[in-house]
Amino acid sequence: MEARPALSIQRSGASQLSNHVVAGGLSSSLPALSTHLEETCQKFPNTQQAHAERELMTRHLAHATLLPANNGVVGHIFSSSSGFSSDIHYSSALPNEQNSRNSPFISQSPINTAALPLSQSSNSLLPQSTIPSHRNKENSGSWCTDPDFLDFPEWADQLITGDDALTSNWNELLVDNDMNLEPKTAYQVAKPCTTVPAQTQQLPSPSVESHSVVIPSSSANNAPAKPRMRWTPELHEAFVEAVNQLGGSERATPKGVLKLMKVEGLTIYHVKSHLQKYRTARYRPEPSEGSSEKKLTSMEEISSLDLKAGMGITEALRLQMEVQKRLHEQLEIQRNLQLRIEEQGRYLQMMFEKQKSGLDKLKGSSSNPENPPAPSDATNESPTKIELESSQRGNGNSGTGTVNAKSMLERSPQEVCGEHTTPETVDLEKAETHVSESSSQQPSKRPRLEE
Amino acid sequence: MKFGKWLKQQIEETLPAWRDKFLSYKELKKLVRLISSTESPEYGKVDAEAEFVYLLNNEIDKFNAFFMEQEEDFIIRHRELQQGIERVIDTWGPNGTKPSQAEYKDEMAKVRKDIVDFHGEMVLLVNYSNVNYTGLGKILKKYDKRTGRLLRLPFIQKVLEQPFFVTDLVSKLVKECENTIDEVFSVEVEEEIVKVQREAITVAEKLLSMQEIRRGSSTYGHFSLPPLDLPDSDLIHSFQLNSPIPTV
Repeated sequence: MEARPALSIQRSGASQLSNHVVAGGLSSSLPALSTHLEETCQKFPNTQQAHAERELMTRHLAHATLLPANNGVVGHIFSSSSGFSSDIHYSSALPNEQNSRNSPFISQSPINTAALPLSQSSNSLLPQSTIPSHRNKENSGSWCTDPDFLDFPEWADQLITGDDALTSNWNELLVDNDMNLEPKTAYQVAKPCTTVPAQTQQLPSPSVESHSVVIPSSSANNAPAKPRMRWTPELHEAFVEAVNQLGGSERATPKGVLKLMKVEGLTIYHVKSHLQKYRTARYRPEPSEGSSEKKLTSMEEISSLDLKAGMGITEALRLQMEVQKRLHEQLEIQRNLQLRIEEQGRYLQMMFEKQKSGLDKLKGSSSNPENPPAPSDATNESPTKIELESSQRGNGNSGTGTVNAKSMLERSPQEVCGEHTTPETVDLEKAETHVSESSSQQPSKRPRLEE
Repeated sequence: MKFGKWLKQQIEETLPAWRDKFLSYKELKKLVRLISSTESPEYGKVDAEAEFVYLLNNEIDKFNAFFMEQEEDFIIRHRELQQGIERVIDTWGPNGTKPSQAEYKDEMAKVRKDIVDFHGEMVLLVNYSNVNYTGLGKILKKYDKRTGRLLRLPFIQKVLEQPFFVTDLVSKLVKECENTIDEVFSVEVEEEIVKVQREAITVAEKLLSMQEIRRGSSTYGHFSLPPLDLPDSDLIHSFQLNSPIPTV
């Protein structure tokens, strides 16, 4: 398999690393890293990357000596650029191969699962090969380019025709694989699309791009799209309508529901998993209605207790509701605060850049006093009052134009922003000591805000 | 490691099924420490950062997947609950097909419990989103601090757009639950409780005014009463006498 050569490349690159790696520190963090890897591995059992990682880990666990094991894991994490790109190559090449060869994919996985004590229910998914491989396939090209909705209907139809034979086992597959498979492979392939040394650009934008569906374009292998679908109440309403038209949740088929709903971008996989969830949600309440008489008597007892004791079930429920309400309010407040902090951080960054460009311009004319007016003009455009005050303060101090001011400004958005998202005020106090004087005024604003 | 401890606490206190869906903060922190302590031109900052970003993105994918699945479940459950209420009202309610006070009350009690639990779970999900967002912010900040790079700001901007952070729909469902509870269950027992509350408040008002009157005055004379010293004056003050009480 392609995995092996790539691993050996990584290893050779990593062997050079091992000389530089602090063995002591590494060995202590290795277990943590390997558990972390294991966690990520467990989540994505069916991807090639996961297989590679698992193989790494089996070797790591199997080897008695520490150094080669270090190489294995370190090589994965800190792979040289050559190892890295080879990593990418095999992961992008792989989906293309899977189209024709499903069986090797399966045959490899049982070996790995035997090697590792993975206790995932998704291990049972391995025999059913076609779906995971399909999903890996189509994810290969999907994230690179923008979604192209025109391509969608063709193979959606192909899907639908070949669909009816699948058993309900397959639904479980969907539910587990849904979340496990595609994000991982999707991300894997996102990387070759961006440049390898890209840092901040390599972000989860693909999953942001479309909440509903992403269509494979370039390396499309006529495979079904399996991105995450974000359901809404309206969509669900349409779903229920369609199901009822087809005779209820038990009788409705995903294909029929999909056809009835006529929602662009909805795949049969989404419908299948949603239908299964719907069935489960409905099944439980129904048996309880049959036994409602039994519950009646117990309810009567409780309600009589209710009257006797001052605080009965209803009162307890009411209190619980109150607490939950308050908690929710607090969470909302916290969220809004976080959003505004980031907004301000971005704003400060922009300010800093403006000022920097202003400084560069002025280096020729060498007149310092011109600096403060420019930033203060910009501050008047700031969206919120607090931002205005604090950025004025920040710019006032940094208007001295020294290198220190630049670095202070640079650090301040990050420090201030980072610190204030914690729920504990002790960290706020820490922020006040850490943050430089130019932005020291800002933290004092925050507690007032929060009160 | 204050946040780390707090996160651990959150994980312990949350639903068992959710425990492995949280941010692997400790591991990421170790990675950051590793990166900052073992940097060398061999593999370069770029690759280490790429790897770090890769792991972070994995975490984000994990959050997104979990969050959206829960959200889907909530949407289904919400609708089922609403329908359940209608069903109960239609069958056992006063104008229903089989009007029965007792059964109606019992069924409503059941539904009420379900709604409150449902509400609680949704609030838990919003909390989950917040906790993980905070964790991401913190680990990014650590990374920037250790490596001197500027990864945090642009990265967190992207995180803000992620599905797991956009909790609008769940919040909306939460508010709808609250409204449902208020509408359907406001009548019966609430009246008694409100009455009791009002009585307590009038008593508190009286005590406070007495305290005012009997405060140590400048015109203290032989016949003046000593200042009233209420042990629980703080408690009474906290009754929030100015809060509007719905007059039913």
